[in-house]
Amino acid sequence: MDSSKELIKTVDLLLEISSLLMVSGANTNRVNLSIDRFAKALHFNTSCFISHKSIVMTVYEENTSLSCTRVKNIPPYAINFSIISAISKASWTAVEDHWTLNKIATEIEIIKNQKRYPKLVILIAVSLAGAGFCNIFNGDYINMSVAFASTFIGLLIFQLTHREGYNVYLRIFFASLIASVLASLSIVFKLGDNPETALATSILFLVPGVALINSFTDFLDNNIINGLVRFTTGLMTVLAIALGLFIAMFLFQLH
Amino acid sequence: MLITILNLLEVAAWSGIAALGFGILFNIPKGVMPTVFILGFTAGFIKFMLMHFDIHIVLATFIAVFFIGIICMPVAHKIHHPPVVFCIPPTIPMIPGYFAYETVLSVMNFIFMEANQAKRVELMDAIFTNGFTMFFILISIAAGISLPMLLLRRTSVKKLKEEN
Repeated sequence: MDSSKELIKTVDLLLEISSLLMVSGANTNRVNLSIDRFAKALHFNTSCFISHKSIVMTVYEENTSLSCTRVKNIPPYAINFSIISAISKASWTAVEDHWTLNKIATEIEIIKNQKRYPKLVILIAVSLAGAGFCNIFNGDYINMSVAFASTFIGLLIFQLTHREGYNVYLRIFFASLIASVLASLSIVFKLGDNPETALATSILFLVPGVALINSFTDFLDNNIINGLVRFTTGLMTVLAIALGLFIAMFLFQLH
Repeated sequence: MLITILNLLEVAAWSGIAALGFGILFNIPKGVMPTVFILGFTAGFIKFMLMHFDIHIVLATFIAVFFIGIICMPVAHKIHHPPVVFCIPPTIPMIPGYFAYETVLSVMNFIFMEANQAKRVELMDAIFTNGFTMFFILISIAAGISLPMLLLRRTSVKKLKEEN
């Protein structure tokens, strides 16, 4: 193959990998590490600038003047730890077994097309998590079932609005509003011992845990800008959740 | 005594379930599920045991999360997955949801409802207590999960073992 064409192909592949990692919820340090490993397997050097919405990358060879720089826009974020894990494994095997460009490309394609868990499984698992939260904060079994039901409906709304392509903060707001309205009903009708816990825990499925933890690790790695961006998205999410909760509490005059 | 232990175990089990539920939301690989449950269970057990011995919730959370941060390195070698995958889900049940709720509730009462001066002072107290407890718990989660990695790492978990 023509060496400049190979270079372009390499940049595109590495950009694809890094954008996949960013979208799946890896922190900046991990993206850099994976890129370095793949580049090492392909005997290239790379430098890159990673931001929240796009990645700029230059790939070059040590002893030639040949280099290639490209920019890739990052698609909307969807946390997926399976992809992070699979890419991490692939990067180690690529270095050890000296994978070729095509081998890496086919492997990434396979990783990209992995299926997520079915929507119903996610719904039930997250609702159980909501019930678990309720137990942690001293709720009894009635409160837990309220938390289960409101989390279920809230997450269902969140998933359904995804198809319509609404703004993500608007979706979070609606999910939080509906979940907390449902849970507020249990306070109005005085179900269980601690109906407040059901309300407090019914909205926790929206909490931006990954964004906030990644933001902190990015700060510690001196990736300040990315850390700030993640922190801001986390903060926006929290505000959207709080607004939904706030309106529900105001509607039912809870105090 | 037995009842206390049973209660602790129940709460810890629900922490594990909550961790697993969030893991599934984050689409963790199937092989990691038992690890996530066990880590969530252990972290919950540590946190609530410490709180049972009257240790403040902030410190208890920090110790539990710090434990996850340390244990995740040997575990990463054993199950061959990067630490992020099974470290973040078990910390999610530690999130101070109830304090956040109390803060929002007090803020709302303070702004829209309460006119009585004495009660307003009480509400301010509630806003600060709950708000800062929530804030410190969040910081202890973030610091607890990232400190062990920073203290020990060169570049990645896998390299640590090669150097030893």
